[in-house]
Amino acid sequence: MSSRVEILNDGGYRSDGRRQYELRDISIDTSQQGSADGCCTLRHGLTEVLVTIFGPREAKMRSQTLHDRAVINVEVNVLPFSTGERRRRARADRRILELAATIKSTFEPVVQTALYPRSQVDIYVQVLQQDGGLLHACVNATTLALICAGIPMTDFVCAVSGGVHSTEPLLDLTMLEENDLPHMTVAVMPRTGKVTLVALETRLHVDRFAEIFKLAGEAGQALHKEMKRAVRNRTSRLVDAMETSMKQPVGGERDVVMEDRMDF
Amino acid sequence: MDEDWEEGSHRLTSPGEPLTSSQAFMRGHGTYIDNEEVISSVAGTVERVNKLISVRAVRSRYNPEVGDLVVGRITEVQPRRWKVDANSRQDAVLMLSSVNLPGGVQRRKLESDELQMRTFFEEGDLLVAEVQAFFADGAMSLHTRSLRYGKLRNGQLVTISPALIRRLKSHFLSLPCGVDLILGLNGYIWVSKHVKQTEQEGEEAFDAEAVYSNKNDDIDDATRLAVSRVSNIIRILAAHFIPLTDTLLLDAYEWAVEQEGDVKELLQADTGDAMIATIAARD
Amino acid sequence: MPRPPSPSIPEKEFLYSSLKQSLRLDGRNPLEMRTPALTFGPELGWVECALGKTRVIAQVDAKMVKPPPERPLEGIISIHSELSPMASSEYDSGRPSDEEVTITRMLDKVLRRSDVVDKESLCVLAGQRVWHLRLTIHCLADAGNMLDCSCLAGIVALRHFRRPEVEVVGDEVTVHHPSERAPVPLSMHHTPYCLTFAYFPDATILPVLDPSHLEQTLSAGLLTIALNAQRELCVVQKAGGVPLAPDEILRIVGIAVDKAKELDKLVEQKLKEDWAGRTVEVR
Repeated sequence: MSSRVEILNDGGYRSDGRRQYELRDISIDTSQQGSADGCCTLRHGLTEVLVTIFGPREAKMRSQTLHDRAVINVEVNVLPFSTGERRRRARADRRILELAATIKSTFEPVVQTALYPRSQVDIYVQVLQQDGGLLHACVNATTLALICAGIPMTDFVCAVSGGVHSTEPLLDLTMLEENDLPHMTVAVMPRTGKVTLVALETRLHVDRFAEIFKLAGEAGQALHKEMKRAVRNRTSRLVDAMETSMKQPVGGERDVVMEDRMDF
Repeated sequence: MDEDWEEGSHRLTSPGEPLTSSQAFMRGHGTYIDNEEVISSVAGTVERVNKLISVRAVRSRYNPEVGDLVVGRITEVQPRRWKVDANSRQDAVLMLSSVNLPGGVQRRKLESDELQMRTFFEEGDLLVAEVQAFFADGAMSLHTRSLRYGKLRNGQLVTISPALIRRLKSHFLSLPCGVDLILGLNGYIWVSKHVKQTEQEGEEAFDAEAVYSNKNDDIDDATRLAVSRVSNIIRILAAHFIPLTDTLLLDAYEWAVEQEGDVKELLQADTGDAMIATIAARD
Repeated sequence: MPRPPSPSIPEKEFLYSSLKQSLRLDGRNPLEMRTPALTFGPELGWVECALGKTRVIAQVDAKMVKPPPERPLEGIISIHSELSPMASSEYDSGRPSDEEVTITRMLDKVLRRSDVVDKESLCVLAGQRVWHLRLTIHCLADAGNMLDCSCLAGIVALRHFRRPEVEVVGDEVTVHHPSERAPVPLSMHHTPYCLTFAYFPDATILPVLDPSHLEQTLSAGLLTIALNAQRELCVVQKAGGVPLAPDEILRIVGIAVDKAKELDKLVEQKLKEDWAGRTVEVR
C-alpha cells in the first residue's frame, strides 16, 4: 500500500517524530471518580480511555452468577466524538462486542475471581479518543483500574502494539500507521514474561511476526515500570494521607493514642 | 529484605511483586504462592504478624468480620429474609429471626410476621446492624437484636471508603452540636438528629410503632444545618483520604462554624483544603 | 436461558488424564486435525465442509450493484453467518453470544479484511456497476471447532465460485449466461486457513489442534491462527486464557505453518477433482 505520509523517513524518524522503538507519552490518572471502586484514565499519545470498575458486588443477573467464582462483565462504549469523523456506533456493533469479549477473557485468568464467589465485577470502558492502539490502551487502563479497586490479580497485564514497515519493526502505532502497516497487539504478564493476549489482524510473514512479537514483549516490560510507578505513587499518596499527615493510630496494634478521645 | 517490615515503616507493594520465600513464611490475604515465593496480588501495604505475610489494599470493598457494626440498605425482600446492600462483595442477609419483632423481644416468629415483613423493612430502608455470622459462600448475616440497632431515620447517609473508618470503642457518636453519628465499618455513615438516651432505651417499653416507623420527627433548622455541616465535613475528609475520628470531626466542625460561611461553601475545593490545613496543624 | 450443563466430573477427569498421556478420546494425535470432508453442490460456490461431526454449509452468490460513492472502484463482499439453535442447543437465537461474536468477527477478519478476494477485480464499470459477493455460512452441527470449519467452508466456497463473464462496451454492460460463456473464477490473492489450538489448565498437558466439543468446553484458552501456505499469517488470536510463554506461541505458529501447507494441498486436490468432473456440464 502506498501512503501520502512517509511512515519512516531516511533519518529513522516516524511521522510524529518518534524513533522506531519509541513509545508514545503515557499519562495515568487514577483519581477517584464518583462512586466507582476503581478508575483510571489512561492516555497513550492521543488515544485516551477511561475505565471504571464497580465491584466485586452482588450480581445483577442472578442466572449469570457462578457459585465458585466472580463473574466479570465488560462493557465498552466508544464515544461518537472519539474519531475524526463523528459517528455514533451501535452498542451491539460486532467490533465493540469483540473488544469487550477480548478484555473480558484477558482478565478472567488474571483476576483471582475464585475469592469472590457469586459476585460480579463490572468493567466499564469509555473510549474518549482514538489514535491507534485502542486495544492496548484498554487493556492497560483496565489493569490499573482493577488495581485501584483493590481487586486481587496475579500480575499486571501490559499490552503494546507493534507493526512492521517493510522490514523495520515499529512500536506503539498511531492511527495513521495502523491504517498502512500490518500490526498486532501483545499483552504480557511482566513477572513471568508470559503472554496472555495476541491479536494480529493483518497479513504478516511468519518471520516478521516472531520479530515484532519478541520486541513487543520487551516493550511490555518497559511499560510495566511506568504503570508500576503510577500505582506506587497512588498507594504512597493514600497511605501518607491516612497516616503521617494526621498522626493517627493505625489498626489495633498501637492504640495508646486512643486516650486522646477522652478529652471531651 | 525481610527486615524491612520490622521497622513499622509500611512497605508498599503492587500486584505480581515477590515478597519473600514461601518456605519461611505463610501467605495471608492479598498474596498468593507461585514457585515457592509469596507474591502480592494487590497494591497496598505489607503487613506481617509473626510468620504470616499479608497485603492490605489501600482501597477496596468492605471485608466484613463478625461483630462489625454496619449501616446498610434493604435491596430486596425475600421469604423470611431481607437482602441488604452493605458495600460488600455480596449483599448481606438479614433473617426475619434476627430482628426484634413487636410485642416483646423474645417470642416465636409467626406466619403473620412473615406476611408483614414489609411493615418492618421495605426496599430502600436504611438500617444499622451487626455482623452475626457468615454463610458458606462468604455472604454475611446481620442481626438487629439490640435496641440500638434497627431502622434509621431523622438524618442522612454519607458514603466513604471503608478503609477510612477505624475500629473504635463505640461506633455511635454523639457530637455536642446535637448530631448523632453512626459509623458503619462498611463506609456507610448515618448522620442524624440527636436522640436522647432515655428515649432510645426504654428497655421495657419496646415500641414497635416507633422502631419501625417511616416518619421523621420534627427537625428544627439549626439541627438540619448541623447535620449537613457534619456530612460535608465527612465528605471533605474522605476526599482527602483522611481517616475519620471524632476529635478530627469536632476540630473541623469548630473551624467550619468559625468561618461563618454557608454550609454548601464547605464543598468548594479551596475551603476544603483550608480546613484540612488548619486541622492538620492543630494536631 | 440457563447455562448449558458443564461436563460431569468423571468426564472431565478422564479427558484430562488421557490428554496427559497424549491420548485423545477420538483416537487422534494431539496435533492431528480431523480430515475435512468437502462436498460440492450442483451449483458453483456451494460447499459443505465437515470436520468429524461438525458440519457447515457455505454458499456464495453474486449480483450487480451500484458501489458506494466512497469506494467506486471496489466490489463488495459481505459475510452472513448465524449460529442458530440448530447447530447446538447451546446457541440461542436473540442476542449474540460471545462465541458467536468471535466466529463472525474471525470470519470477517480471515475472509474479508485479509484481502482474500481482489476487490478491484470485482469492479465492472467504475462508480456504476460492481459485483456484490454474498457469502452465507450456515452452521448445521457443532461438534467442536466450529470456527475452523466455517472458515474452511467459506474460503473453499470462494475458491469454488465462478462469476458470470461480463462484457463492457461503452456504458453498456452485458452479463453472459453461464451457458453462453464459461464463468470466470474470482481473482484471489491468497488462501488462508484457520487453525485452532486448545490449551488446558494443567500446564503439563500439551495443546491439541482442532479440539472436539468436549475438549473445547474443558479447555482453558484457545489460540487461533489463520495463515496461508505461503507462510503469511493473517490472524493470530489469543484472547486471554492461560498465559503462555512467548517461545510456546512461536512453536505453535511453526506447527501451524506445516498444517496449513497440508491443508492447502488437500483443498487444491479436492477442487481439482470437482472441477474435472464438472467442465463437461458447464458448457
